[in-house]
Amino acid sequence: MKQVVIHDPTLRDGQHAVHHRLGLTELRRYAEAADAARVPVVEVGHGNGLGASSLQVGLAAATDDAMLSTVREALRHSRLGTFMLPGWGTSDDLRRAISHGVDVFRVGVHATEASLAEHHLGFLRDAGAEAHCVLMMSHMASPGELAEQAARAVGYGAQAVGIMDSAGHFLPPDVTARIGAIVEAVGTVPVIFHGHNNLGMAVANSVAAAEAGARIIDGCARGFGAGAGNTQLEVLVPVLERSGFATGIDLYALLDAADLAERELMPAPPVPASMSIVSGLAGVFSGFKHRVVELAGAAGVDPREVFFELGRRQAIAGQEDLIVDVVAELSGRGPKTDAA
Amino acid sequence: MSLTAGLTDARPDTVETATVAVIGTGAIGRDLVSKIDRSPGLDCRLVAGRNPESAGLRYAESLGCATTAAGIDAVLAASPFDVVFDATSAASHRDHWPLLEPLGTLVIDLTPSKVGQMVAPTVTGVAAEDARNVNLISCGGQASVPVVHALAARFPVTYLEVVSTVASDVAGRATRLNLDEYVTATGHAVTTFSGVSDVKIILNISPAVPPATFRTVIHARVPDADAAAVRAVVDRAAEQVRSFAPGYEVVACTAADDLVTIVLKVTACSDVLPPYAGNLDIINAAAVLVAEQYAARPGRVSRTGVSS
Repeated sequence: MKQVVIHDPTLRDGQHAVHHRLGLTELRRYAEAADAARVPVVEVGHGNGLGASSLQVGLAAATDDAMLSTVREALRHSRLGTFMLPGWGTSDDLRRAISHGVDVFRVGVHATEASLAEHHLGFLRDAGAEAHCVLMMSHMASPGELAEQAARAVGYGAQAVGIMDSAGHFLPPDVTARIGAIVEAVGTVPVIFHGHNNLGMAVANSVAAAEAGARIIDGCARGFGAGAGNTQLEVLVPVLERSGFATGIDLYALLDAADLAERELMPAPPVPASMSIVSGLAGVFSGFKHRVVELAGAAGVDPREVFFELGRRQAIAGQEDLIVDVVAELSGRGPKTDAA
Repeated sequence: MSLTAGLTDARPDTVETATVAVIGTGAIGRDLVSKIDRSPGLDCRLVAGRNPESAGLRYAESLGCATTAAGIDAVLAASPFDVVFDATSAASHRDHWPLLEPLGTLVIDLTPSKVGQMVAPTVTGVAAEDARNVNLISCGGQASVPVVHALAARFPVTYLEVVSTVASDVAGRATRLNLDEYVTATGHAVTTFSGVSDVKIILNISPAVPPATFRTVIHARVPDADAAAVRAVVDRAAEQVRSFAPGYEVVACTAADDLVTIVLKVTACSDVLPPYAGNLDIINAAAVLVAEQYAARPGRVSRTGVSS
C-alpha cells in the first residue's frame, strides 16, 4: 500500500471560522484527541499564521507562544506544525516557534509568488527545521506555472511543496493536472494538497491528488474552516484507505476527535452555503462574502452576480475595494473604465 | 514649525549642483535616476549596477548618465560624490556603509537597513546638519509615519497597526528578500515617531491584475476618538506630504468605538513608473528632497565625482 501523510490544520485554518478565538483549553483538548488517533501532524496558530494577530484580520484569543507551547505539551506522537505568511510573520516568529519545538513549518504564498518565501525557507533550512511551501489560490495559475513555482520553492529549501485550493474551485481533473505537473517538476520531493469544500469536492479532489502522486494531504475535523470549510478529515482518511493509501491513523480515535471538535471548537460544522457555492464557482476568495452581501444588498444588486464579476476580474484577497466598483457598475451607477 | 513652507522653498533655481551617484538599477533605482535628472540641484554622475544587461543601466545611459556594472567598487573608485543613493538591499547597504563612511559623502539609504538616521521629511525635517547616513525607512514608513506622528501628537493612541499593499510587479527581489527588515524598520519608525510601543506591521505583495495602487491602512486604538477631529489631523498631515509626493491621498478615515481606520493611497508621479507604483514614488521623492536640500545648504563644500 502507498503511504500518505495526513496534515491536520484544524487548529489553524479552523480559526478563520471563529474569528481566531480558539482558547487554550480547546486547543489542548483537540490536540490530545488528534494525538490519540495518531494524526501525523497537528498544525496550530492564528488563521493567518505566526505574527498575524491583528485588527486587520482578527485578534487571536491567545498568543503564538501560548498556542504553540500548549499544543506541544499535548502531543506525544503527532508532530507539531505551524504556518506563516511572509510579510505577516517574520524570522523572529520562526525562531521563537523553533524554540517551542515546532517540527513542521508551512510557508504560504500566493500561487505565482514563490519568491516571497525564499528568505524564510532558507532561514528554516539553515535552522535545521522541516519547511514546506504552499501555493495558495492555486486555481489562478496554470499547471505549468504551478510546477515552475513549486520547483523554485524547492530550490529555496522547501522539503515539501504543494497547492491550496483556497477558493474551493477545483474539480478532480483540475487537481490531477496540477499535482501531476508539480510531481513531475520536483521529483522525489513530497507534494501537498490542501482542499476546500465549496463545491462538495474536497474529499474527491484529495483522492485525485493522492492518485496523481501527492504524498501529504490536509484535512480538518468536521471540515472546520472558513465558509464551506476544508476537506473533512474523518471522511478523507477512510476514503484514502479504501482507495489504497495507508495513513497510519486509528479510525475510531479519529471519529472521536471529530466528535470532540464538533462539540468544543465550533458553533456548527461548516456546510457549502449558497454564497460559498457561488464564490467557489466564481473562483473568488471566500473572505469577500460579508462585504459583497452588505454592499450588494445596499445597492439592490444580486450578490451572486457580484461574485461572478469579481471572478472575471481575477480579484484576490486585499482587493476589497474592487467590490465597490463592481457593485456600482452592476447597479448602473456609471461603469468604471479600468476593468481588466 | 512650518515644515511645509520649508520643504517647498528648498528647491533652488540656481545654485551649485551636487554631484550624485546611484547604486542599484532595479525599479527604484531607475525612478531615482529619473527624478534626479529632473532636479536642477542634482547632477547624476554615475549609475552603478551589477548586471551589464540591466534595463536600469540602459535607461540611465539614455539620459546621458555614466554607468557601470562594477557596483560599489566603481562608485568608490570614482568618489568623492556629494551624495550617494543606495537602492540595493538592506544586507548590501550594511556592507556598503563602512566603505562609504570614510569618504565624507552624504549617503541616502533607500533600504530598510536601520543603519542611518531615519527621515520622514514632514516629521523630522530632511536631516540633521551632521547626518552622514540618512535612512528612508520603507515605503510603508514614508506613507504611515506622517499620519501616526500627527495622530499620536493629538490623541492618546494606545495601539497602531500599519498594513501596506504593494503590487507584485514593482516588488523586486531585494524587497522580497527584505520582508523581515521591512517589518522591523517600519515598526521601529512608527514607534519612534508616535511614542506608541504596541505596533503591528504587515506587508502584502499583491499579484492582482490590473495592479493595485499602493495602499497603506492604519488601524489605531484611540479611546473616545472624535471622527471630525481625527479627519482634520489626518488631512493636515496629508497636505504636508503632498508638498513633495503629490499623489498622496486620504481615501477613507473613520472613527468608531475606540477604533480609527485611515486608508491612504499613493499614486506615482513619475516619468518611468506606472501610476500604481506609489510605494517607489514616495520613498524616492523623499530621498531626492533630502539630496536637494543638502545641495542647497549654504557653505556646503562641493565634491566632484567622475566626469561624464
